[in-house]
Amino acid sequence: MQILRQTNLEALEKARALGPEGVIALLGKRGLEGRGGAAYPTAKKWKACRDTPSDERFVVCNADEGEPGTFKDKLIIRHNAETLVEGILVAAYAVGAKRCFIYLRGEYDYLRPRLQEQIDDVLARAKMEGVTIEIVRGAGAYICGEATALLQSIMGFRGNAMAKPPNPTTQGLWGKPTVINNVETLACAAQAVLFDDWDPTLRLFSISGNVKNPGVYEFPLGVKMSTIIDVARPEKKLKAMSFGCFGGIMPVDENMLVTPETICMEKCQHGAYSIIFIDETNNVVDVAYSIAKFYTYESCGKCTPCREGTIRMLNLLKKVRTGKAVRKDLELLRELATHVQDTALCGLGQTCGNHILTSLEHFPKDYEAYMKK
Amino acid sequence: MANENGKKDARPLLNILHEVQEQHGYISEHMLKQIAVEQGIPIARLYGVVKFYTMFHTEPQGKYMIEICGSPSCVLNNGMRLEKFLENEIGAGIGETSKDGMFSLYKVSCIGCCDEAPAMLINGEPHTKMTVERLRLVLAKLREAEAKKADEGKKK
Repeated sequence: MQILRQTNLEALEKARALGPEGVIALLGKRGLEGRGGAAYPTAKKWKACRDTPSDERFVVCNADEGEPGTFKDKLIIRHNAETLVEGILVAAYAVGAKRCFIYLRGEYDYLRPRLQEQIDDVLARAKMEGVTIEIVRGAGAYICGEATALLQSIMGFRGNAMAKPPNPTTQGLWGKPTVINNVETLACAAQAVLFDDWDPTLRLFSISGNVKNPGVYEFPLGVKMSTIIDVARPEKKLKAMSFGCFGGIMPVDENMLVTPETICMEKCQHGAYSIIFIDETNNVVDVAYSIAKFYTYESCGKCTPCREGTIRMLNLLKKVRTGKAVRKDLELLRELATHVQDTALCGLGQTCGNHILTSLEHFPKDYEAYMKK
Repeated sequence: MANENGKKDARPLLNILHEVQEQHGYISEHMLKQIAVEQGIPIARLYGVVKFYTMFHTEPQGKYMIEICGSPSCVLNNGMRLEKFLENEIGAGIGETSKDGMFSLYKVSCIGCCDEAPAMLINGEPHTKMTVERLRLVLAKLREAEAKKADEGKKK
């Protein structure tokens, strides 16, 4: 796997030789894009931060990997943390930051002691004057994976999402320019700086669900779905696949070429390449119900469409599952999901109806099976 | 971006809250008052922060915190069966603590162990590929260890 290649502080050495602007130019040339979901060019983000006049800048590593079905950043923290830490230092050098943070989700707290050792070790060897990396311990809030909420959380507030602009890149922690990248992006940054043969098309896929070989796999963008299914080895006939929670529940198309466009079409944001396979023994409504529960639980409650909408969508699905729903309820469900998506403040709210809209569209029979006769 | 009382040079508030909870098992009103004074944060704002994050508790908890993963991957791999078994076995529902004070049961969003589903965290440590049988053994071990501790306590 490319993501496991170690940089052994040589990326930082090369960065120092290139100078901050040289590093940013090189990353632009290599074509590194953010791996958290939005696929924003990393070089552009770093440059915007560097070019914003300020006496202080920050680098934040988003290790709040909370999207259900996603566990690739955990693999990096476990097996190539040195390269991740080096990526943070390369970012700090490129944008001119001294204080860096790793926001580690509370559910991964058991990884913290070893990660701390590795941070201390790399920092001691890197000899970057005045640069610190501090782990901030998340405490169970999915919304904190969203950049503005994450910054609120680091500053000691409730993790509420904030309206953008201002963008964190120009006005982030304590109002200062702040680069936020996720774990995979920062590890890739170190590798992209150092290795001339670094391949920008490789992505980490988190595969789980009703399959014999779940796990993290590295595939190039555009990989055929049948290749992924061959590796994952379902035991029974597959019925559906869910791209994380926000990507919606889709029929399995073996000929699909997996790119951001095919995963999400125009309907939602690019994904972090998590696929949960669902076989024919399951009713898709049950999966949609577990996703609806997730959104209800994780809505931060700041904006009304998401706070109220997630609860009502869950209640309607509950009605469906208990056989009390009539056709009008499905229409209401569809309308509600569309409305919440159109009016919610942040990415969570804007995607929290995807599983409902897609399952209603593609699996009407599963709903039918629960309907009031 | 609001930054009233969000002190730049202080240690991250979340880390402080985690440490207090680890030491005392929960964050009591008394501790809240103390942190508020030490950190110079209005207590109402501090309470709002503590209540926002699901991992912080303002009431005493069981000795063992069981967090069952509710992700689709775990649900598809018989996660619900474990939930029902646990509720029966410890005699407490989701969000409750067993009468003997041993276990608190929670359901959480996704703990990132989807490739080893179904999974749960017990006092923060992942327990993966769980079955009812394995879970029974884990609970028995924890109960045994507690009983032993209690015995040793009596001898002293």
